[in-house]
Amino acid sequence: MERWHAVASWTWDAQDETCGICRMAFDGCCPDCKLPGDDCPLMWGACNHAFHLHCILKWVNSQTSQAHCPMCRREWQFKA
Amino acid sequence: MDQSTTSSFCNLGILDSLSNDSICEILRSYNGFCAATQTLLAAVDDLSARRDFVAHVHSLCKHGLDSLVRDHFLRVLEETFERNGASRFWRHFEPYSNVTGLNKNDDLEIDEDEILSVLHSALEEIYLEKGYQEKCLLMLVHAFQSYKKQVSRDTRDLDAERNHLTTKYQWIVSSVLTATLPRNFRVILHWYFKRTLEELSTRMDEELQDHESQSKDGMDLDEKGKICNKVGEMDVDECYNDSRYSENNKLVNSIGKVVLHLRSLGFTSMAEDAYASAIFLLLKAKVYDLAGDDFRSSVLQSIQSWIQAVPLKFLHALLVYLGDSVSYESSSSGLKSPLASQPSSFCPGIDSPSEGLVRWKLRLEYFAYETLQDLRISKLFEIIVDYPESSPAIEDLKLCLEYTGQHSKLVDSFISSLRYRLLTAGASTNDILHQYVSTIKALRTIDPAGVFLEAVGEPIRDYLRGRRDTIKCIVTMLTDGTGGNSSASGNPGDSLLEELNRDEEIQEDVGIDDDFNTDDRQAWINAARWQPDPVEADPLKGSRNQRKVDILGMIVGIIGSKDQLVHEYRTMLAEKLLNKSDYDIDSEIRTLELLKIHFGESSLQKCEIMLNDLLGSKRTNTNIKATISQPSQTSGENAISMDTISATIISSNFWPPIQDEPVNLPESVDQLLTEYATRFHETKTPRKLQWKKSLGTVKLELQFDDRIMQFTVAPVHASIIMQFQDQKSWTSKNLAAAIGIPVDALSRRIHFWISKGIISESAGVDTSDHVYTIMESMAETSKNGAGSSGIQELLGGDEEEERSVSSVENQLLKEMTVYEKFIMGMLTNFGSMALDRIHNTLKMFCIADPPYDKSLQQLQSFLSGLVSEEKLELRDGMYFLKK
Repeated sequence: MERWHAVASWTWDAQDETCGICRMAFDGCCPDCKLPGDDCPLMWGACNHAFHLHCILKWVNSQTSQAHCPMCRREWQFKA
Repeated sequence: MDQSTTSSFCNLGILDSLSNDSICEILRSYNGFCAATQTLLAAVDDLSARRDFVAHVHSLCKHGLDSLVRDHFLRVLEETFERNGASRFWRHFEPYSNVTGLNKNDDLEIDEDEILSVLHSALEEIYLEKGYQEKCLLMLVHAFQSYKKQVSRDTRDLDAERNHLTTKYQWIVSSVLTATLPRNFRVILHWYFKRTLEELSTRMDEELQDHESQSKDGMDLDEKGKICNKVGEMDVDECYNDSRYSENNKLVNSIGKVVLHLRSLGFTSMAEDAYASAIFLLLKAKVYDLAGDDFRSSVLQSIQSWIQAVPLKFLHALLVYLGDSVSYESSSSGLKSPLASQPSSFCPGIDSPSEGLVRWKLRLEYFAYETLQDLRISKLFEIIVDYPESSPAIEDLKLCLEYTGQHSKLVDSFISSLRYRLLTAGASTNDILHQYVSTIKALRTIDPAGVFLEAVGEPIRDYLRGRRDTIKCIVTMLTDGTGGNSSASGNPGDSLLEELNRDEEIQEDVGIDDDFNTDDRQAWINAARWQPDPVEADPLKGSRNQRKVDILGMIVGIIGSKDQLVHEYRTMLAEKLLNKSDYDIDSEIRTLELLKIHFGESSLQKCEIMLNDLLGSKRTNTNIKATISQPSQTSGENAISMDTISATIISSNFWPPIQDEPVNLPESVDQLLTEYATRFHETKTPRKLQWKKSLGTVKLELQFDDRIMQFTVAPVHASIIMQFQDQKSWTSKNLAAAIGIPVDALSRRIHFWISKGIISESAGVDTSDHVYTIMESMAETSKNGAGSSGIQELLGGDEEEERSVSSVENQLLKEMTVYEKFIMGMLTNFGSMALDRIHNTLKMFCIADPPYDKSLQQLQSFLSGLVSEEKLELRDGMYFLKK
């Protein structure tokens, strides 16, 4: 065998299918982006809820005081 | 005598007053007059009876019987003419009485010169006869005149008298001749003119050639300018070639004489018809000769110059010779066409005789245009087949049509030839599309507004819509710049991709134009250039501005919407990309960019992501490889290193649905892939890979005892053959279990290797079980008869209908099955429904997930699928439930 060119699809290793904010698939991208994958990454919070990075950033920035996770209302902390 | 009785009946009083003497005198002189008339007319060139004749006329006139004299004389004249002139004249032509049709000339083998001379001599003779009779007539007139001078001073209406008599005589002559006209005379005349004109034209052609060769270089340009006023320069020409021209002149003069004679015999219109038709015939022959089947050169110019050189010169000479073109013209000036007043083609310096000539010129040119146009239209199909080469012919046709305005003829004839020759089951879709594109290009030249294109394109579009592979062909044409399909029609792909490129340029140009348009002057010019739509335009189809001819637009118009096209493109792109093992996608990127320009960015978003995936995979691949410092130790005894593995990683949401079948890859490969996935997970946390194991390509080198073979195959094939590394022979059930695919799928796949002569198939113990054995040496292979030669490279998947991306139809079918229940329910309720009603109902009620968004055609094809499955029935356009 000389060369094996395989085909694979990638997927985010998240429990959920769609972003809780924009309701788009994680494997897709947030409404503002055009290219999925590295250009539109996911972000996990301390509560293990994942969102598109852009979506959650928008959310966090829009909160006046301390931001909460949109899903569980726990205080939002970016997971390291 | 009737005449005399009636006239005397009116004047009964006069009769009574007549004395016996005078009666006797009248009788005597009447008899004498009759006899004199007889002798006078019967004799040829014998005017001895003149004196008697005059005396008798005088005495009869004295009794007021001048009308009697006149009538009798004319009647005798008529009889004599009929007897001597006409019948003798016709007798000349009797030998040719069997010449009845123009085309039979060739068979009959007539001595041409003989006819010529016969016609000449016959005309000469009858002319003489007529001249003599006219002399006699004049004698009568003189007799009247001299009597009137004696009797009265009344000389007022003498000229009127003469005119009256001559006209009457003219009438007699022509009526006698026409009444006795044999059928063949017309033919003979026609034939005569044809022949003499041919002679003349060959001479003039020679002259023309000489003339052109005389003025080899510098004149060429002038020639074109001069053509229009060549008629005016005829005197100059005369000086050029005196000797030959005089010869021509002689010929023209002889023709002119014939025409003159014929005219004097009252055959004016017949003669005109004859030479006109002869000229037209000649012109037609010339056009056919020049135009022929060669579409590579423009012939209009040469035809025009020929018209100027030959027939017009002839006509000019003829009209000058006849000298009465003025009367000819005045008789028809009421019918003057508006074109005739266009001063463009003639110098103003030419005076009235050329008026008739102008009319002739217009007539001839129109005829030439029409002939050429008919010729070209009848061959339009062929012309368009070799379009880029045949553009001169198209240009010609365009000019002709501008002149004749018979566009509808073109449309009709072309559509019928299309129907007959192109839109048949035998023609491949590619060819039809190719022809369609050529048609668009060609007709765009003829008619920039695209009105006729609309009409012509309609049948093609309708037909193409009925073909299933149309979209695929179009997309292939659009994308396959290299002309991947080696069909006989050349490379239709080229043209469309070029069109894409060109389109891009045009759009840039338009951008520049727009800048200029801000200039007021330019806007004014544009406005001044506006022309109304041709009358044939269908007002429903919008005005000229919206009807910009756009090849791609028209092609997309076939499909119906660009979405469908984009969809098909995506499917084809996906397949192409999945079968790529290197990451070279430059050409695809270029095509996509072009398509984006035309169809808009947003609709091709997904395709862009697909291409981006490829680029991303290339990067990832190198990254992953870089993390491995040295060849992996985990790769079993076959020593497959990570280097051999590469992967295309796709964003599955943006690709068309991909058919993935589970397959067990060989252990070693599987391990490598797992490792690859892990590394991916490491580099791209928190993303992970999901292998589509049946997709991709594998390049294999098979080593046998006596040969080495290379293949590029699908993974399934690879895993099949790799199973044979450890075990020489497998039963189909075991092999299927090992690879993890159903037995029937296996037997389909393994057929590839069997056909290559690498695996042999034999019946096993169980009838449903087959035994596959690998062939180790050539000898075994050749025993099996399936010889295969050395190194082959073949994409295993190609020959089966297997495709990695499910086809558009399958997807459609899958989507439509959702609606099957709806349709069934509807038909149960309503009994029967027409197609569009089903369509509308679905649109109305299926708004929930998934919304009904299919086109009428798609629904129709789905329904016809249901009909063929015998679930539905179609009668008179209504769908029923099958009972």
